Amino acid sequence: MKPELVCFWTAVGLYGISTFSYLFGIIAKYEKLFMVGLFSALAGFIPHTAAIALRWKAGGIEPFITISESITFGIFTTMLIFLVFQFTIKKVRPLGVLVMPVAFVLLGWAGTLMKDVATQLAPALQSWWLWVHIIGATTGFGSVLMAAGLGLFYILKEKKSGGIYDKLPDLQALDNLSYRFVAGGFIMYGLMIISGAYWSNTVKGSYWAWDPVEVWSLISWLIYGIYLHLRITFGWRGRKLALYSLVAVVVMIVSYWGVPFSMETFHSGFRIEH
Amino acid sequence: MMRRIYGLLSSVKLAMGLLIAILISCVVGVTIFRGERAWELIFNSLWFNGLLVLLVLNVAFCFFGRIWGRKVTLISLGMILFHLSFVTILVGIVYNSFFYFRGTIRLTESETLPNADPMSYDVINHGRFFDLSRLKGNTTLIKMHRGYKVDGTDKRAGYEIEVGEGIFKKQDIIYVTHHLEYRGFKYFNDKEGYSLLIILYDKLGRELYGGHVPLQSFKQKDETYLYSTGTKEEGPGGLAYPQDPVKPLFGLQATYEPSKFTERAGDTIFTVWPLVVPDEHKAETLPDHGAGQKPDAPDPHANMKKEDMAAAHSDGKKTGTVATEKPLAEGKVPIGKKIRVGDYYLEAREVRYWVAMSVRYDPGQPIVLASLWIGLGGMVITFIGRIRRSRI
Repeated sequence: MKPELVCFWTAVGLYGISTFSYLFGIIAKYEKLFMVGLFSALAGFIPHTAAIALRWKAGGIEPFITISESITFGIFTTMLIFLVFQFTIKKVRPLGVLVMPVAFVLLGWAGTLMKDVATQLAPALQSWWLWVHIIGATTGFGSVLMAAGLGLFYILKEKKSGGIYDKLPDLQALDNLSYRFVAGGFIMYGLMIISGAYWSNTVKGSYWAWDPVEVWSLISWLIYGIYLHLRITFGWRGRKLALYSLVAVVVMIVSYWGVPFSMETFHSGFRIEH
Repeated sequence: MMRRIYGLLSSVKLAMGLLIAILISCVVGVTIFRGERAWELIFNSLWFNGLLVLLVLNVAFCFFGRIWGRKVTLISLGMILFHLSFVTILVGIVYNSFFYFRGTIRLTESETLPNADPMSYDVINHGRFFDLSRLKGNTTLIKMHRGYKVDGTDKRAGYEIEVGEGIFKKQDIIYVTHHLEYRGFKYFNDKEGYSLLIILYDKLGRELYGGHVPLQSFKQKDETYLYSTGTKEEGPGGLAYPQDPVKPLFGLQATYEPSKFTERAGDTIFTVWPLVVPDEHKAETLPDHGAGQKPDAPDPHANMKKEDMAAAHSDGKKTGTVATEKPLAEGKVPIGKKIRVGDYYLEAREVRYWVAMSVRYDPGQPIVLASLWIGLGGMVITFIGRIRRSRI
């Protein structure tokens, strides 16, 4: 087995351990399992990073071109945000209950879609704008996933008390944290759309063509735009927005990796007819 | 009345309703309807674009009506920029819609076409106030560079073109990430293909006709490409040959198999059918000798009108000019070799490339693109402002 694959599947395995630690931790209300989950996630992040680096080195092109690479890189960014948040803010220890299962399942799925390393980047994608676009997309996804995780704990804390729930920040703080992640995600999605539009204009002469990938990204952006308006203009807070963020993140996953890559669009490689 | 209209336009409920309506329309446009159908029914429809315009008007009235006169803070400054960007995007789009030009120009190597002639374009669209006289000079495809590289990076294809008139000509090689701009008109590469110079000889070997026949590429199950006459829509097929205005003699399908080793070499597979000429299809008669285009003339398909080239493929089986029964002749010969067809001979003398380029003039585009960045800047400023406020 190639070192890249060893690293990749080790990461999947460790994320799996982390996932079950978090899930059993929340079911059994046993806080130490959250620490096992967190350190398993950290341990998994190392081979995850190595797998991306090895693939990048082997192919020599940006490691987020195929659907498998895109998911792998997206989860990498999500995990980076999650770990930084967990080791700096230290407020929401069980946050991995939502983040880690998503990371585990998506990364496992990416493993089933993995193809040989490409050595040539489609000419249309040869630009540093691609980095801006991908960083915007993956950071945006990571942010709204965190927001959804915080929303989940808002709902749980509202209903339950004692044990781990008492150690969570108060509802107001959870609500504010979730909102900040949504606002950050909204900006990063904006960056993704604008950089994509700008680059499309350079390559094709048009910044927007209503292709399915563009429309799905607009849908994602609108969903969080509506979230922000509900909060700022209509004064929504708490439970309603927490539920909203949970539903929205499902749409995000579908729009980000589910639908667009099943279609032959600009994102599947700039298709050139001879 | 005016007060009621203002009240409606400045309603936050209307803003939310519009956002939801646009969101639902987008979801429908990528799930229930897709592609062309979604474009026709939703994204290009009057009602959907009306929603977008209404949203922008609503933003203008609703947001700016509320913020007017208030103290400008970091948060409100960001919000002003963000919402203002929506308004300026609309201004850019509307302005562009009046003056834009979009055309697809298709040229074979060495071919020159006048820019101001609408017949030079396969597809042409322009705004109500676009003046065709803005299109100056000619466009020439000098050469198509296959495997074109820039600083060692493969750009796949480069189109060496010359655009303009007199001393104001501009020459450049355009490729996927690099376009040529001439007086505000941008030339983008789009697609390219092979074109065969097919010569018709009489039985004594005298040249009767010659013209370039553009081929289409058809992807095969094994991921390889078949280069043949035909249409993208209907697949490989024949065309009446010789082409208008010369009287056709038979139906011809030409398929090119490129050499794996030598550029512009390889084999041609000819398939020739007897022709069924409809009564209404009256064309000039082929003179005995030297008619049509002399193949050794400087521009081999100067006699071939642009619309003939474009229509060449649709003149085939679809219109009934080519019978589909048993071929009169078929065979595979290398480029430059003849094949016998009854009293005639056919030869694919040379291979050239044709390219299709997108020609665009979008004077409103800079406004839109600048507005996008301003909008993003507004989002960032608001975010920073909120973080700072929560820390105070």
